[in-house]
Amino acid sequence: MTEARRLSLILAVALLALGAIFAGPYVLDTYSVNVLTRSLLYAAVALTVDLLWGYLGILTFGQSVFFACGAYAAGLVFTHMDFSEGNAVLALALGVGGALLVAAIVGWLAFWHGASALYASVITLVLPIVATQLLYSGGTFTGSSSGLSGFMSFDLSMEAWFWLAGSFLVAVTTLAYIVVQSDAGRLLVAVRENEQRCKYLGLDTSRLKILVYLACAVIGAIAGYIYAGYAMVVAPELAGFVFGTELVIWTALGGRGTLLGPVFGALIVDYESAQLAGDYPFVWQLIIGTLFVLVIIAFPRGLLPVLFDIPRKALGLVRKRPAAPPASVTLSTLDAAETQGEEVGDDGPALAVHGVARRFGSLNVLEAIDFEARAGELVSLVGPNGAGKTTLMRCIADGAERSAGTIVINGHDIGRKPPEACVALGVGRKFQMANVFETLTVAQCLQIARARHARPSLWRRARELPLPEAAMHVLATTGLDRQLSTPAHLLSHGMKQALELSMVLALEPRVLLLDEPTAGLTKTERMQIGAILIDLTKKQGLCVLLVEHDLDFVREISSRVIVLHQGRIVLDGSVEEVVASELVKQVYAGSGHAGIAHESGPSTAQEMPA
Amino acid sequence: MIAQTLDIVTTAAILYAVATGLLLVFGVMKIINFAHGGLMTLGGYAALIATQAGLNPWLAIPLAALFGGVAGMAIERFVVRPLYARPLDAILATWGLSIIIGQVITLVFGRGVQFTQAPLEGTLDLFGESYSAYRLALVGIAAALGLALTALLQGTRLGLETRAVIMNEDLARGLGINSALVRFITFTLGSALAGVAGALITPLSSVDPNMGVPWLVNAFMLVLVSGASLASLLAACLVLGGAQVLVATHLSPVLGGLTIAVLAAVILRIRPQGFARD
Repeated sequence: MTEARRLSLILAVALLALGAIFAGPYVLDTYSVNVLTRSLLYAAVALTVDLLWGYLGILTFGQSVFFACGAYAAGLVFTHMDFSEGNAVLALALGVGGALLVAAIVGWLAFWHGASALYASVITLVLPIVATQLLYSGGTFTGSSSGLSGFMSFDLSMEAWFWLAGSFLVAVTTLAYIVVQSDAGRLLVAVRENEQRCKYLGLDTSRLKILVYLACAVIGAIAGYIYAGYAMVVAPELAGFVFGTELVIWTALGGRGTLLGPVFGALIVDYESAQLAGDYPFVWQLIIGTLFVLVIIAFPRGLLPVLFDIPRKALGLVRKRPAAPPASVTLSTLDAAETQGEEVGDDGPALAVHGVARRFGSLNVLEAIDFEARAGELVSLVGPNGAGKTTLMRCIADGAERSAGTIVINGHDIGRKPPEACVALGVGRKFQMANVFETLTVAQCLQIARARHARPSLWRRARELPLPEAAMHVLATTGLDRQLSTPAHLLSHGMKQALELSMVLALEPRVLLLDEPTAGLTKTERMQIGAILIDLTKKQGLCVLLVEHDLDFVREISSRVIVLHQGRIVLDGSVEEVVASELVKQVYAGSGHAGIAHESGPSTAQEMPA
Repeated sequence: MIAQTLDIVTTAAILYAVATGLLLVFGVMKIINFAHGGLMTLGGYAALIATQAGLNPWLAIPLAALFGGVAGMAIERFVVRPLYARPLDAILATWGLSIIIGQVITLVFGRGVQFTQAPLEGTLDLFGESYSAYRLALVGIAAALGLALTALLQGTRLGLETRAVIMNEDLARGLGINSALVRFITFTLGSALAGVAGALITPLSSVDPNMGVPWLVNAFMLVLVSGASLASLLAACLVLGGAQVLVATHLSPVLGGLTIAVLAAVILRIRPQGFARD
């Protein structure tokens, strides 16, 4: 399916939905139209819960507050300043502005570098509690517990309100659907799947979360504004924790991460609540509560995917799906003239480490680490387990990690910068355990790795993916380029390692940090990776820092070896010097037992954590 | 001055009694039990039943522990156990449970506000100040609860196994500790403590189907700033509970109601480990 066809299909469905909204008042009774107008607006807020929770992985209890922002802006302006067209615009601006301000404060609190998912949820839980209490204590200004009512509003018929609310819902749902299906939307899933990897791919995930949060706040505020205009009453419950959790319940019932599920979940549950709550108020709540618990335990994806799966499975019995869907993305080699990596530093070292120390309380893991490495050098970092190798890697890739000292990349001091800023300076880090986006395909993982250089589209999906030569080389050598549409979690361990290496190379780093890239690989795979690394340093002029236990491998490919022991550099020299060194043998074999380190290469390779 | 100090100490004691059950569950299972509020409500109604049956009001406490514990067993087995791998979903499922508990109670007892008999009436003279005897008794009860739990965790084999599970569950299992059983017992104990807390607070206010919910958020925030330690929970209760009393008396009661939640959120932003030592 071409891009144009895909987008026109989405628009056609949206037009159909608009048609249904238009027909609504002619086929429904007055009571239903009245109730559904409210449900349509609630559904728009549930949509924002889904964007944040289903796509971005932030469980939020506080979206009700943004709805209340818009509603109270209208209520306050129309009560205290009278209704006029100018004031209507003012109220909308105040509602949206207030929601943006609140969202910015919450975003700053909840999405800072290093905040846990639980902490973000806690903040969104505190938000509605604070908001309700402030509304209660507002006296006659906010109407306290009874809220505001009896203000003038737009002179629209009930049908017109229904159409307005419905068109708003269709518009935001369509927009959200296009965005989450686009290349930019895939970033949201990547952040949910593996935020750490995103940061080390140079993506500012905190900023992305705040941006999505702000957009969701605006949608909520507009929905609230329309609600106040139509209901002509606002109450503190609109901002409350109970409404906030109801939104989460509708989203979970409908199906998180599906957009349409939460929309229909909100419409159906809220409409049915209005129908049944009058006759069986407590039983109805009990049913919803029970259903919610059951869905969370048994169908965590919600009910919409279950509904869709039944006909799909039935169809699957009749006709077989092709085993592997054809690749939707074609790779190409990025023109060398278009590479955007950091320039090679003029003459200075690519990486300069001075006086770096890392302490955990009274424990010194690293002490007085001093070394420099130039472009084109492949420096191996060896030493027994616990020598501080991985800690040193971490200190180079994340400015907040070290306790003392300076680290300069290509002439730029990394200071206290977070990982994504270090990536911008030219650092690429491959983790010890293969660290990829498990649910995304190989091609999608690579696209995310390129997102820093090629800003992804908010509405289109790219068909072509230009990658730097080095990344293409790894893909071609390992055969990953023939598995572009395979989800990453189905890859073998070695293939995952290769995928992560190509993702890091797609960043066009100048300083490449590799933490045991060959751990758990076969001999052949190790040779392939070794050849690629030599090629990267010799031809591309990268500075590679490699942590390795396999001393045979180190001997074959390194231009220099640094030996770490108990947090200090004990030797820094050529391969020959290190291999001949009595000290190194002692470090590896313990001082009492002078085993020959480099001859026990294969067995030391076994001690690495798999 | 003395009245205010007593207010702070008794408030901290009440908060401590309310939060210990939640802390125990969070520490061992890394799960936030949002049914804690519902279980407290259950404990409150156990006290109501005791009053209506004309029992000695002190018997309300073991009765509430029984109610909470039995409900906790069922919740652990059927709801929490399938969700160990999904801690955020466990928050939601337990919140759903507290809705269910609230609605079932409403169906049985009606939604009206009811009152229970306090085990201790009247006031006590302390440092020249006459103060509610029951609130003072709560300090002793909270201290007894804290000491009993500490003794259980530090002095028994079950406690040793529980601490092992808190520190490193995989390793504990590798050493042959039945961590599923430890979790089951912990959740039951935590739920029983929630019930007890519900029974303890009813003489101070009243009983209604949603009485536990306002306590839930404060208890939750206190647990988050304390990590998994009973000692840091005590510190958190004194500091944040004290701040709540001071704000409520000197600024406004409404702001006082927000103090714990807002302060805890700010503390966690500045110092993610909160009151825990590391």
